Amino acid sequence: MTIKTKKILVPIDGSKNSIRGLDMAIHIARQSHGTITAMAVKSVPGIYAIHPLGFLDFSSMTEVKKFLNEAKVRAAKKGIQLTAKALVGDPGYDIARFVNNKKNKIDLVVIGARGRSSAKEIFLGSVSNYVLHKSKKPVLIVK
Amino acid sequence: MNTNSNYSFKKILVPIDGSKYSEKALQRACEIVNAFDSKIILLYVVEKSLPINLLDRKEYLKILRKFGNKTLEKANNVLLKKGITAKTFLKEGNIVAEIEKVVKKEKCDLIIVGNKGLGSITRFLLGSVSNKLAQSSSCSLLIIK
Repeated sequence: MTIKTKKILVPIDGSKNSIRGLDMAIHIARQSHGTITAMAVKSVPGIYAIHPLGFLDFSSMTEVKKFLNEAKVRAAKKGIQLTAKALVGDPGYDIARFVNNKKNKIDLVVIGARGRSSAKEIFLGSVSNYVLHKSKKPVLIVK
Repeated sequence: MNTNSNYSFKKILVPIDGSKYSEKALQRACEIVNAFDSKIILLYVVEKSLPINLLDRKEYLKILRKFGNKTLEKANNVLLKKGITAKTFLKEGNIVAEIEKVVKKEKCDLIIVGNKGLGSITRFLLGSVSNKLAQSSSCSLLIIK
């Protein structure tokens, strides 16, 4: 049977919850023969946009790439095509903008209920909440 | 809670209120049922809140109950046309609390709700309900926009 979810966006941050979200997305993608777009956003405080030193901090970009690769492998094992995307900016805002951009043709957003602990503060429950409110596409929250 | 091995949606709860959004949610639920071969539970909650208590309550609740039964029937008919049988529930009380109770009792894997409910006049299943569910529910939630 057909589900109209051809393109699924999964914002990931490397946390257990986001991996669970990814698994769920893979499961849905298998049923609907869709593709997954995994997106990782490295959070950068707005002030760094002005401060030149902010751009020197690319050390954790490698971390972002690492778990994007992990996600790729995970999806490939199940035979699902996964496109990875790494961005720098404000997670909630960038995800919502990506979803609402009609060019991307996202049909569903699968997101973990909570991301990393507040100590690391990359992806909070607040991000899920923000995306939930701002996106114009269906959102699946995985608990 | 879902474990890693259990990603199939066995039971899906669809709280409805008779609004456009809940119809949309129901449509989406049908698609998922077709794909995953799961069961649907329909739920209508008659809200019992303070303002209603103060006014003539019995009459108001009666009307709401009637409306609830009607919407449940309507939804059931939609499902039957697609060859899906569903359990229906009519509960009374706080909307979010009742939904949670049903989720626990029936061990649902997924809730599908609309983005918003009826207008503020009818005061039932507002966007606020979806919001509260998102924050407090113990199972996965699909919000249809």
